[in-house]
Amino acid sequence: MISLDRPWRKSLGARIIGLFLALLLAVQLVSFASLRISLSRHAHSELPARLVEGEQLLQTLLDRRVHAVSDIAAVTAADFGFRTTLFEGDENTTVSALDNLRRRVGATEVGYLGLDGTVLHRASAGNAPDIAPVIAHLKSQNPTSGSASEIALVGGQPYQAVLVPLKAPRLIGWILIAFPLDDTLKSDMKRLSGLDLTLLSRATGREPWAVSMTALDRSSANDLAENAWGVGAAGTTMVSVPAQGDELGVHAVPLGADRSLSAGVLALISLSVGDAVRLPSDLQWTLVLIALAAIGVFAVGCVLTARRVTTPLRGLADAAERLGAGDYATPMRGLTREDEIGALSQSFERMRTNIAENQAQVLRLAYWDSLTGLPNRARFREAVGVAMRDATDAKLADGTEGSVAVIMLDLNRFKHVNDVLGYSVGDQVLVGIAERLGRALAREGDVVARLSGDEFGILLRHADAQQAQAVALRIEQALEQALVIGEHRVDMGAGIGIACWPQHAEDDDALLVRAEMAMYAAKRRNNGPVTYDPAIDATSAQTLTLISELRQAVERHELRLYLQPKLALEDSRVVGAEALVRWQHPTRGLVPPVQFIPFAEQTGFIRHLTMWVFEEAARHWLSLADEGLQLRLSVNLSTRDLLDMDLPQKFGALLARHGVPAAAFCLEITESAIMDDPQRALATLDALSAMGFKLSIDDFGTGYSSLAYLKRLPVDELKIDQSFVRNMQSDRDDEMIVRSTIDLAHNLGIVVVAEGVETAEAWNLLRDLKCDQAQGYHMGRPMPVGEFSAWSTSWGMRRTAGDTDGVHLLH
Amino acid sequence: MLVRLAFLAALLLDAAAAQAANVNVVFTDAAGHALTDAVVMLEPVGAPLPVKPMAGAQIAQKDLQFNPPVTVVTVGTPVLFPNQDTVKHHVYSYSPAKTFQIKLYAGVPHTPIVFDKPGVAVLGCNIHDSMIAWVVVTDTPLWARSAATGHAQVADVPPGNYQMHVWHASLAETTPPQLLPLTVAAGDVEQRVKLGPGGMAK
Repeated sequence: MISLDRPWRKSLGARIIGLFLALLLAVQLVSFASLRISLSRHAHSELPARLVEGEQLLQTLLDRRVHAVSDIAAVTAADFGFRTTLFEGDENTTVSALDNLRRRVGATEVGYLGLDGTVLHRASAGNAPDIAPVIAHLKSQNPTSGSASEIALVGGQPYQAVLVPLKAPRLIGWILIAFPLDDTLKSDMKRLSGLDLTLLSRATGREPWAVSMTALDRSSANDLAENAWGVGAAGTTMVSVPAQGDELGVHAVPLGADRSLSAGVLALISLSVGDAVRLPSDLQWTLVLIALAAIGVFAVGCVLTARRVTTPLRGLADAAERLGAGDYATPMRGLTREDEIGALSQSFERMRTNIAENQAQVLRLAYWDSLTGLPNRARFREAVGVAMRDATDAKLADGTEGSVAVIMLDLNRFKHVNDVLGYSVGDQVLVGIAERLGRALAREGDVVARLSGDEFGILLRHADAQQAQAVALRIEQALEQALVIGEHRVDMGAGIGIACWPQHAEDDDALLVRAEMAMYAAKRRNNGPVTYDPAIDATSAQTLTLISELRQAVERHELRLYLQPKLALEDSRVVGAEALVRWQHPTRGLVPPVQFIPFAEQTGFIRHLTMWVFEEAARHWLSLADEGLQLRLSVNLSTRDLLDMDLPQKFGALLARHGVPAAAFCLEITESAIMDDPQRALATLDALSAMGFKLSIDDFGTGYSSLAYLKRLPVDELKIDQSFVRNMQSDRDDEMIVRSTIDLAHNLGIVVVAEGVETAEAWNLLRDLKCDQAQGYHMGRPMPVGEFSAWSTSWGMRRTAGDTDGVHLLH
Repeated sequence: MLVRLAFLAALLLDAAAAQAANVNVVFTDAAGHALTDAVVMLEPVGAPLPVKPMAGAQIAQKDLQFNPPVTVVTVGTPVLFPNQDTVKHHVYSYSPAKTFQIKLYAGVPHTPIVFDKPGVAVLGCNIHDSMIAWVVVTDTPLWARSAATGHAQVADVPPGNYQMHVWHASLAETTPPQLLPLTVAAGDVEQRVKLGPGGMAK
């Protein structure tokens, strides 16, 4: 009922119970007290009346005795045999007849009196006390035909005497019957009225009252006897007399002839005031039992009521705690109650549902992307974690080697879409992409999420790198088709990165980071999905080592400058070379560029490499010029270079130091490098162009350079991506692209360079297409600078020795 | 019988008849109403007058009543108690003047009851408590009984001193004999007697 773990005084239920029980007790005490008082008052007021009733009872009892005796005596006196005996019998017979009557009525004295009152014959029970005074009293009543009775002292004892006339047929004498007032009188009084009878007597007024009979204890009776019973007491209904510590209410009744109370017999009818006022003990017990029962019933009622109040309250408190702990699913109880508790429960229930809704909303916002309806990054991360745990559990359970793959995808130039077509179209593009990604996934349990603006993540459960690669290719194909948003057709490419657990990362965070790295690598390479490799990870231990080694490589002159020739298609003349960096590692040998260029770009070290390449190119341009080779050297600029606003100044200083003209260099920039931040890139390019550098768009055709940009760029050269060049002979589309690009470039007055020329057929085709220059293995691979002049000399000799068909020149 | 008695008395008193006077007594009760059957008896102070028993008297029982209720006889007069009712009676008296009983009988008992002592005998029936009769037994010849008018006359009373003894049934048993000194000289004596239960009122 009251939980023990909280102090009872703090319990609402206990307080309700305590308060009500206290009130009940108070009410009962008050009612008990008032009952006592009113009973006491009543008893006080009733006392005199009771005592007076007692007098009547006493009188009745005395009269009854008299009547009983006189009736018997009258019958006997009328008996002819008795009368005959009295008048004709001898002395003994007469006395025995009287004695017979005496026994019959239970008296102690029976006498036959003559008409004048003289005792003619007498029968006594004992020692025949003097009965003359009684007779005198009786005679003084002057009875004629009826009987007379009197109470008087006989031998010092109160006697009741009856005088019955003897008729034959007229009065001829009297029968006197006398008997002491015995204890039956007081016991009858006690039994019938509860009153105590005490008889006092004295022969003369000068003597003290003596107790003749009493229902009280002897000492109380003596106390009563000592009271000054005077003439006045006879008239009063009640006199209070202290007796033995008690207070007695006494009603004095003079008995017998002497009503003056000076002598004779005095009956005292008494009652203990205390007893009368006191509640009867059985009533007291009854009241106590009623009180206890009431308290019991009340306590049970209070407890039940309190429980009806506190149990739901505790339930509400528990419910509030549950809400606080985040459990919004458990509904409230007691909703059907119609009282305040019910109202409170309903309020709680409304609060619960509202909070639950809000919580669900918060969760949606927290875990779901509102635009596409896809999970967001947080949710995705959780899903990845869950998938990894599931795989771990599966491995623990049955030893199967699970793996989890994450594909991360970032749309190319989405910012550009937003800028040009507006955010509305951008949003629709995102929704469309999300749909396509969803369609590209067939498997249950795989998750597509929107991680940030234009970045999506795909979780593949139980997939290794190979399977992930297949999915990534499918996604790439799905994205190839242009999205139609209203009147716009939008081509959206994307960088797709793949990372697998446990192959590439140990935990979910690392897995996501590495997938992201792979994605950025893919965007840079622009050559399809990229699976994570420590090499592309600037933070990987391998990369960190590589960076410090690369730094040392610059200091230790382990870097080598390679040149790949660029030839004029028209006359096969060497018109330039692309400067490329190679790393001659002391232990690993020649490190391929793909192993260090990407992370050099990522870490920013690429700027050192660019400067190194540019400086080396400048140095060698001078030496080549000394050898008579007037070549324009191409140097690649990375995104970071373009974003470096000091680059033109640095290049200028370098040109000045080496004393080479800017026009001797062509700076190659990829489309994507420009698109990362077109404005800054444009500013840098304008500055460089103004300095006299030639500018070239590298890998043209892979990006989405719009013609508008191309027109605004101070570009002197386009390099058609080698993927078109390689396929143009087999793919008419690629040939068209190449042809169109050449036409377009020429119309804009831009020189066109074809990369990846690996066959004579390509060479010839390009020449037919009026492409300006060509670069490729067919003519010459990238070669150390030292070998370049030798190759150039031999190429020149072959050109002058051979025909104009460059193809044949080369082999 | 009474006529014969009166005649006899007249003969007895004839000697003094020349001087004799009548004593007239009027009996009333306390309220002044005339008393019937009141008896006046004159007892001479000194030597008593000779008295003879009467020839007999009769007290019948008829209709559960004694009839007459009051009878005056001289000492020694036998009295018969003829029962004229269909029920039996048991006549008795415990009076000191005459104690007797005639146990249940019907008709006329063979033996009369002789009232041989002066006084008043109260007679009752042991069967019927309401029956009561008085027999005034006198030892003087000078007596009279009041008529319905309350008048009683003792005729031919010789002059002399007398105790006038009056009685009536209404006198209580405890009342002592009501005596009044009376002197008879020449001429009639008129006496008014008012009797209550307690005796004469002056």
